[in-house]
Amino acid sequence: MAKKDKNLDIAPSRREKKGVGQVILALILLLYTVFCAAPVVLVFIAAFTDELYITQHGFSFFPAKWSLYGVTSVLKYGKQLLVSYGVTIFITVVGTLLGLLIMSMFAYSISRKDFRLSKFLSIYLLIPMLFNGGQLSGYIVFTSYYGLKDSLLLLILPLCVSTMNVIILRTYIANSIPGELMEAAKIDGAGEYRTFFQITLPLLKPSLAAVGFMMATAYWNDWQNALLYIDSDNKKPLQLLLVNIQKSIEVLLNNANVPAAARAAMGGTIPQYSSTMATVIVVIAPIMVIYPFFQKYFIKGLTVGSVKG
Amino acid sequence: MKDFFKNTWKHRAHVVLALPVFLVLFFIMYVPMAGLVMAFKNFDYTLGIWKSPFNGLDNFKFLLASKATFTSITKNTIMYYVIFTALGTFLNVTLAIAIDQLVFKKMAKTMQTLMIIPVFISYAAVQFIVYAFISTDTGLINHALGLNTRFYSNASLWPYILTIVKIWKDTGYGSVLYMSVLAGIDTELYEAAEIDGAGKWRQIRHITIPSLVPMITVMLLLSVGNVMRSDTGLFYQVTRNSGVLFPTTQVIDSYVLNAIFKNSNFGFTAATSFFQSIVGLLLMLFANWLVKKIEPENALF
Repeated sequence: MAKKDKNLDIAPSRREKKGVGQVILALILLLYTVFCAAPVVLVFIAAFTDELYITQHGFSFFPAKWSLYGVTSVLKYGKQLLVSYGVTIFITVVGTLLGLLIMSMFAYSISRKDFRLSKFLSIYLLIPMLFNGGQLSGYIVFTSYYGLKDSLLLLILPLCVSTMNVIILRTYIANSIPGELMEAAKIDGAGEYRTFFQITLPLLKPSLAAVGFMMATAYWNDWQNALLYIDSDNKKPLQLLLVNIQKSIEVLLNNANVPAAARAAMGGTIPQYSSTMATVIVVIAPIMVIYPFFQKYFIKGLTVGSVKG
Repeated sequence: MKDFFKNTWKHRAHVVLALPVFLVLFFIMYVPMAGLVMAFKNFDYTLGIWKSPFNGLDNFKFLLASKATFTSITKNTIMYYVIFTALGTFLNVTLAIAIDQLVFKKMAKTMQTLMIIPVFISYAAVQFIVYAFISTDTGLINHALGLNTRFYSNASLWPYILTIVKIWKDTGYGSVLYMSVLAGIDTELYEAAEIDGAGKWRQIRHITIPSLVPMITVMLLLSVGNVMRSDTGLFYQVTRNSGVLFPTTQVIDSYVLNAIFKNSNFGFTAATSFFQSIVGLLLMLFANWLVKKIEPENALF
């Protein structure tokens, strides 16, 4: 009884009983957590499983034979993997920073109430969310009219601006940055640009972190634009590398009677199970490592985004 | 009018600040909208979109003539939307309530972190993970159960497989939104209920769920605008774009993607895209109108 009272002192909110119900609930949630995490764990195990073991006994959480072959053979993609890493990091960093900068500039501009053009700009911003030309028309316009086939610009620009993100930023400016502050800056003689860069932008940080993290994952994980537009090896991002690996496995499986000599000629480019899984790790690991640090921000960003669309 | 120009000139700095996004939207979003005119043209790659000759409604006649494909991809698109939205919302809410109810807070937090991870894995990678489970020769499921199911050539299994993958990927993240609503409920409400002798279940039924209803309504209504659009990666990557599975897995978005790669059927595809965009627009306007009626604060415009 005394213990309960003590609990009440610490957290005067809900009195919680740690009864059987709680244990059952915890177990069910634990089971669900395992359902979510197990497939990811399997990737790690498979990357360290002996290749022959997988071929004979299939993928397993408890393989009888381990091997470093998969991990070391990732190095066979060596140069391409490095290039792809470079491309992915480049488009992620440049795209996210560029997007954050120009979207907050736009958000700042339309949040000025006495700016009469802002009404038109808001509508202009909203229309693409309601109506769009679709993939086919985009593909033809980008490739044959802009001549951007095989250009990194097509990996950056299409994901750079999103209506929802501008709205999140605008809402944050309207709700969390006092207008008096900007007025004061103006009275002190700061021009519009200085007010934006030195006062608004620094205060936007929490919102920028939230939007930025979501943008960065979108860039990191984008395979579709790469598949549509990128041809040359030195512009292939990581996700396209994964897609290509899958395609070459497919070719191999569909031609079971590829002569041994041809297989040998293809040599290191034939992806195998463990090395494929090792590649998957290489692709997904950076986000999984970084995300816990951003978790609190994106929860906040998500909330802002939904409360006022 | 003169006032307007004067105002704009006074705010020329704002015009400059707005310009980059204006241009990006113009070239990336607006110009392709004009490209939808293709639906009324006999598209010829060498002539381009604007110079190709008009052919009236021929493309739409073609669309009706090859009804089987059109019906199939539209039906699949809508079917998956309904399954994912209904089941997804139910699970998101249930998970949010379950985590909120758990008194072991540290444990809840850790579990939540793990549950969110799948949402950050691209479908290009998810595809390999799914393969590890259901491949015929090396799949974990076949080996563990001693079966020989050929998942990749059995179309009727795929609605289940895709639903499971979708739930695995999105539920953890989807529940975060509802959790943030739950965190905002006044704890005095629960205390008062407890004093009145209401048990946990009754508290959930009469306090927790009602407080989630506005958010659920808004999310559902807003999703209506996206009925015609799908999570392309799920349908293109996870199925390995396998033709055998198309009857149950091909949706409008993945069909269009394939048409682009095969460089074929532009008339049909353009008509389908047009249909998709127009229906999307109408649904979006309808959804917003409904939200405005119910929760004016949450309307998009």
